[in-house]
Order: sequence, then structure tokens, then C-alpha cells
Amino acid sequence: MRKLPYLLPYLLPLLLAFLLAGCGKQESDLPVNTRLGGEFTLTDQNGEPFSQAALNGKVTILFFGYTHCPDICPAVLARVAQVYRQLQEAGEADQVQPVFITFDPERDTAAYLKEYLPWFKANIIGLTGSLEEIRQVAKQYGVVFIKDQQEQDYLFTHSDYIYLLDDQGRVRKLYPADFTIDEVVNDAKSLL
Amino acid sequence: MPRACFKFALVAAVVALAVPAHAELTFSDPWLRAVPPVSPAMAGYVTLNNDGEEPVTITGVSTPAAGHTMLHDMESTGDGSRRMVHLHHLEIPAGESVSLAPGGKHLMLMKLTEVPAPGETVEICFHLKGGKDACTGFPVIRQSQTDG
Ligand SMILES: [Cu+2]
Repeated sequence: MRKLPYLLPYLLPLLLAFLLAGCGKQESDLPVNTRLGGEFTLTDQNGEPFSQAALNGKVTILFFGYTHCPDICPAVLARVAQVYRQLQEAGEADQVQPVFITFDPERDTAAYLKEYLPWFKANIIGLTGSLEEIRQVAKQYGVVFIKDQQEQDYLFTHSDYIYLLDDQGRVRKLYPADFTIDEVVNDAKSLL
Repeated sequence: MPRACFKFALVAAVVALAVPAHAELTFSDPWLRAVPPVSPAMAGYVTLNNDGEEPVTITGVSTPAAGHTMLHDMESTGDGSRRMVHLHHLEIPAGESVSLAPGGKHLMLMKLTEVPAPGETVEICFHLKGGKDACTGFPVIRQSQTDG
């Protein structure tokens, strides 16, 4: 920690260069992230098996969460819905699929997701499964979640990235939970 | 709820701000994030202003809309994860403000009797050290400007 102030003058230009590089590329040479992603099979909100391969041919906005979290998760869902609606207005929503994966299968059953998700009006596919299945998918995407018993309730400590997948299911970009809607819209368009 | 009604609720909230029950604690931009009707919980946000000369300590929160209401904070763990933690009290120094905002400190309404719909307003009371209460209306909003 002590050394940081001395390193800062060297790190700062690097960081700036990084940021600027990020700004320039809107067209889509979004790099393929080979470290994350891959095949999976879970259960959708209709109780049917759903494999990642079903998403091939579409640009996917994938994110993890749990419906009993009232702060970040509904915010992310609402923002993803806004991205979807913007793409809808541009006439490109049929090529884009938002997918929500719960890490709380105990409470987020298929039946519950079927009631919960339509409210966001964004054609979101909700996926659940056994805890082991979900753990495996989370691992593939580098998602960390820990069940956290608190008083009479339980919550999750979790990372909250949003993933943009191209039409071959490859991870092309990660966003923080407070992503800019236009950025995701533009990136998604660049992959169509 | 019709749009006009919603506007009225907003105006009512603003009027409520202008005539605070207790001069020390005032509220700016209170709102509850609308959630699907099947949700078990919802989050609320507001800026708490202490216009007085003494610190104000909030010791609890309650609303008729929820069986259980808590102040939560968001804590970052080292690995990029975040978790919610229960704040047992919150002190607002004299002349200062504390913001409850998405991704940070927030109100958590649990055991909802009925999930209020966008456009409705929910009365929420803050219990202050010393025994007083400060209450205000929180409109339910589907998506806030402050939220992007
Ligand atoms: Cu909370």
C-alpha cells in the first residue's frame, strides 16, 4: 500500500491509455473472452431444460442474481429491460435475448421466475436448476456467490457483472451493475 | 394508477418536505424502487438532511406497508463481490446529509403486506434517538433518473 503513491505517476498514463482505447472502439472489434463462458444446461421458467446452445444465433445479455434481493438485482433487471426496449425501438430486439440466472434455486423456482420476470416486459428467460448445476455455470462465468445467513433471512454476497455474448455464445464484454444503457445497446448492435 | 394521481403524490411528498414534523431531520428525493407484485422485499432511497445543530441518530425504521424494515449498507468484499449488512443505527452529523442510494445504503422493506404499485406512496417513519419520529411519503417509482 505504501508504494502506491510512487507508482501512481507511472500507472496513471497506462490507465488513461486503457480507457481511451475502450472509448474509440464502438464498431465491434470487441475481443472474445476465451477465459469465461461455455456450454451449460439449466431449467427455464417453464420448467423445461434449457441449454446454452439454444441461444446460438442471438446476441445474449446474461446476468446472475436472485429475486429476493431488492436493491441491485431489480435495478439490473430494470436496466437490462431498458436496453431491450431500446433495441426493440430500433427493431432489433428479436435478435437479442436477455437471460437471468438465479443463484437462489431454493426460492427462485421455475414457477416463481415465471411470475416474477414478465413484469419487466423484456422477454427475459429465467434459468434455475440444482445448486450444483448453478455453481458450475457460475464458475464458468467467474461469478462468486456465497449464501449469507442473517437473522431470520438469508442473502447472498455476490459479484454482479453483466455479460454480453455474441451469436456463438462467446463472451465479448463484461459490464458492472451500474452499466450505461447506451453502451450496452451500442455494443449489442455492433454484434448483430 | 393514473399519471395525474402520481403527480399529485409527488406534489404531496414535496409539500410534506416543506413542513417537516421535526426541524432537525428533513428528506430529499424519497423513492421506493418498484418491484414485481410477487416480490418479498423492496428497497427505498432518500437523502437525509440534518439541518439542526445536534447530531441526529436513526435507531430504526418502520412502515405500515412492511412487517419488517431495516437500514442496510452495502459492503465490498475483496474479490469484487458485494453484500448487504444491517445498519443498527445511522448518525447524521449536525448540518450534514447522508444519502441512501442504489448500490449503497438503503432502506429494506421486508415481509411486505402487499407490494405497492408504481404511483403509490408509502409512509415511512424514522425512529430517532431521544424518542421522536420523522416520517415522510415515499413514492413508488419504476425507474429513477438518479438510477440512469
Ligand atoms: Cu438490503
